[in-house]
Amino acid sequence: MKRRSWYIAAAVSASAMLSAGPAAWAQSFYATAAKPYKGTTIRVLDEITPLQETLKTMVPEFEKETGITVKYELLNHFEVINKGQADMLSGRGYYDAVMLHGLQLGPMLSAGVVRPIDDLVKNGKLFNPKLDTADFIQKPYKSLSFYKGKQYGFINWNYNQVYWARADLLNDADERAAFKTKYGYDLAPAKTFKQMLDIAAFFTRKKGEKLAGKTLDSDFYGVVLEGIKGGSTFGTLWRNFIQNYGGDIIDAKGQPTFDTPQTVAALTMWRELWKYAPPGIAEYSLVDVPTVMGKGIAAQTLAWSDFVLGIDKPGASPFAGKFVYGPIPMVEGQKGERHAEAEPSLEIISKASKHPEATFIFLQWLVDKKTQAELIATGKGGVPIRTSSWDLPVIKDSPNKSLFEAMKSTLAVATAKPKLPKYYELYDALSGIAQEVGLGKLSPADGAKKGQAEMLKLCKTCLL
Amino acid sequence: MTTAADAIAVPSSAAPTPTRERFWYPYLLIAPSMIVLTVVSLIPFLYTVFLSLHAAKFGRVTDFIGLDNYIQLLTDPRFWNSIGIAVIFVGIAVPIEFMLGLIGALVLNQNVRGRSILVPLLFMPTMMAPIVVGLLWKIMLAGSWGFFSYNVLERFHLIGNTSVFASPDLALFALIFVDIWQWTPFMMLAFFAGLQALPLGPYRAAAIDGANGVQIFFNITLPMLTPLLAVIGLLRFIDAFKVFDTVFILTNGGPGIATETPSILANKMTFEFWNIGEASAMAVLIWIAFFVFCNVFYQVAKKRLNAF
Amino acid sequence: MTQSTASSRSSGSLFWTGAVIAYAAVVLFPIFWMALMMVMPNDAMFARPTVFLFKPTLDHFNYVLEQGFYWSLLTSFVLCTVSTALIIVIGTPAAYAFARFEMKLKDDLFLFILATRMAPPVCLAIPFYLIFAKINLLDTFLGLTLAYMTFNLSFYVWVLRSFCRDLPAELEEAAALEGWSRAQIFRRIVFPLLRNGIVATAVLCFIFAWNEFLFAFMLGGENVQTLPVSIPKLITSQGVRWGEMAVVGITALLPVLAAVFVLQRHIVRGLTLGAVKG
Repeated sequence: MKRRSWYIAAAVSASAMLSAGPAAWAQSFYATAAKPYKGTTIRVLDEITPLQETLKTMVPEFEKETGITVKYELLNHFEVINKGQADMLSGRGYYDAVMLHGLQLGPMLSAGVVRPIDDLVKNGKLFNPKLDTADFIQKPYKSLSFYKGKQYGFINWNYNQVYWARADLLNDADERAAFKTKYGYDLAPAKTFKQMLDIAAFFTRKKGEKLAGKTLDSDFYGVVLEGIKGGSTFGTLWRNFIQNYGGDIIDAKGQPTFDTPQTVAALTMWRELWKYAPPGIAEYSLVDVPTVMGKGIAAQTLAWSDFVLGIDKPGASPFAGKFVYGPIPMVEGQKGERHAEAEPSLEIISKASKHPEATFIFLQWLVDKKTQAELIATGKGGVPIRTSSWDLPVIKDSPNKSLFEAMKSTLAVATAKPKLPKYYELYDALSGIAQEVGLGKLSPADGAKKGQAEMLKLCKTCLL
Repeated sequence: MTTAADAIAVPSSAAPTPTRERFWYPYLLIAPSMIVLTVVSLIPFLYTVFLSLHAAKFGRVTDFIGLDNYIQLLTDPRFWNSIGIAVIFVGIAVPIEFMLGLIGALVLNQNVRGRSILVPLLFMPTMMAPIVVGLLWKIMLAGSWGFFSYNVLERFHLIGNTSVFASPDLALFALIFVDIWQWTPFMMLAFFAGLQALPLGPYRAAAIDGANGVQIFFNITLPMLTPLLAVIGLLRFIDAFKVFDTVFILTNGGPGIATETPSILANKMTFEFWNIGEASAMAVLIWIAFFVFCNVFYQVAKKRLNAF
Repeated sequence: MTQSTASSRSSGSLFWTGAVIAYAAVVLFPIFWMALMMVMPNDAMFARPTVFLFKPTLDHFNYVLEQGFYWSLLTSFVLCTVSTALIIVIGTPAAYAFARFEMKLKDDLFLFILATRMAPPVCLAIPFYLIFAKINLLDTFLGLTLAYMTFNLSFYVWVLRSFCRDLPAELEEAAALEGWSRAQIFRRIVFPLLRNGIVATAVLCFIFAWNEFLFAFMLGGENVQTLPVSIPKLITSQGVRWGEMAVVGITALLPVLAAVFVLQRHIVRGLTLGAVKG
């Protein structure tokens, strides 16, 4: 009798476990893996965007499941870079895990402060076999986290840029008629840079003129772009423009190749677009551009899609719901794939960390299918790192279909920035040129020459 | 409690007798300050010198490279650009602050009513955190949406189709303007206090002699204020050279490097490029320049102006 | 006592008063506008054309309170008060000694004090950071207090010394002859005369510490966050929260303004004592 009840009890609990599904199985994996590390406290530094703010509310779930305490700290874009790097480079190790944008990996790897995770991945007790890394959007993931045979993390944030425009203007009947008359083709979200330029010229109007039937009480501009020296201005120019025009800043060997006809063509288009931008463009950072769109000052932009989530919602902008998104434009007659600016980013384990194993468990939990699904559902959208996330109801059935389609197109081709140890110096020099060319202070041809000269001053072969 | 008045009742002697305390007494008094300053100032500074003589990229001290960092810096046009910008900045801002402050103090001295309310209010720009001052002027002068930019500059088409901080020529002057706005009250208050303390004797004598306002100002007021002017001037000169917070918020050295002051360049070298060795060399160079300058100034002011 | 080169006829005084008020109105307008921004709703802010009439909102205050910015206020207050108090205690004897006594190397030591203020703080930030990281002083009150001594102590001694120089030495000498101890002389003669100078200089030191950004940012952290450092937190993913920045900025201004209002007579008297000869 006793033995039979034991069998029944075993069967019942087994079926309960099985019916809970693979998610529950994975859940208990972290709890099991974390047993030796129960009671540890780890400190994690991450960047603040609407996505991370949602994530912060979910961290207590991990703490409850594993018994590891996580102090999850969020800083803004500029601070997270400064403080995170200072912490790692000084050897202080206050943070066990630090968020690095892809562009930071060049300098940080060359400084030797990032802990590879290969040994942890091979560790059966710590690595979750059901993590399904093949589900990560592969191009960004592989180009980001692996270098010269070593792995440095997974992928946490798939920041990407999209084309963003005012749907209400593009759909206005009178504007469409006038546009067709003037340019000979239908007004629609720009697919090529030439179209983007036409739309920019068309919609730049002075105060007092009419726009979509209303009289303007202040100037309106056809396009806005990031123009500050620093920020992600040069990234925008480099990967949306220069690469689509067929150029690049370095070749496969890492030698500077900035002075080419392709670069000059891209710089020319860049300059032309700046003519239709607000006067403050040279002061706009990645944070200002979405704000300007939200205030309805410009008709188009190329901007980071995660900011869209904070602007294109009721209450955040009077034009919420009136925007349309699209893939990054290409060049007419461009052969091959589109290029698009993205900044895949990851949490790495600092070499100075005293709790790499507990941190590793947390990093897996962050990118776990279940966590990601919950994050995107709670945040009402997000920037997926997993291919399977595109099918989540909150994204598939989102009213903002064009946004996620645009993100998808960018992420399909997105790669992390090449690993350049002198990334900051190169960036500083080249973004100065981006600004000068944009303002018309330097001709595109001279800009290309100057850029090449500056690069050569810094490195003859620039790759790590 | 005895007051100064009581002390005056004590007969003053002709020749001071040697004091009875021990010779090390004054050293005891200055010891705590010296110790603290040695710890918090001298030691970090010596460490800076140490760093400047080594290759210290990313904060890792590697090889001893002697004066290489210095040579690299002194042959870098970007370094000289920043020095030039600082010289222009200080050369324009400080004298204007001086003059405006002096004029303001003279005006305040004219029996203005409600001074006890007006003076603290006028002092507000100096009281504000420099970072807040930067934000304030960003609100006023930002391209497109700045209050002043939109309502005045754009409305009257004063600067073409650009913004103040995006124009290489205007940006530096805008920053100078902000510095003047921020620090003139400081000068005004200091000079006002100075004017308030001037003795009346010489003025009465001058009035009897029939001197006019201008003569009185240049021959009596100004010479008596000179020690104060020297102290305040020196402090302001040093601080203006080191300006950082406002420039950082408003232009961060841009457009291009048109407003890249030495502090902004040092910030870039330190926190972006992590060229710790070179940034340290810059600190030492600037320090040496100041030290020489202040030494000279101190000796001259002591002899000629009776200032120290 | 009040020195005036023009006679104080009431019409002349009214004219100058009017001029000063007009000047103040123009110069202080940006601050006034920022104060307005504290209660301006977000859609009215930076609207083109400028919106002057709007419905005030308390949202910005709510956000600032919700996010716990009062901790930064408290931190700033404690840090600045403690470091200023320490500076007064340590610096006053030093200033007095430099003014009164003959010492070997007096000039050099004094220049040393000024020299500590000469390097751009940006360049010192990293050595400080590296040293503090090694001795575990990052993100601590003690650490930041020490860091502030770098520029404030030297300023204090430098300025207070000139005040000390201008105190009448005869009073002290006479008292010494009478057999008073140094301590008595200091307490009963020097200190009452020096009080205004101390107040003036200490207030300036407090203001410098209160408004300081770079060191507080680099050497502080989660535990020690001063008010200026809390401002960049308002640059968020949804853009810059200007209304909240206005709240924090004006809040940072008010205590200092109040202190200057209350202590102004001492400040003015203090500044005069130290400056002018004759």
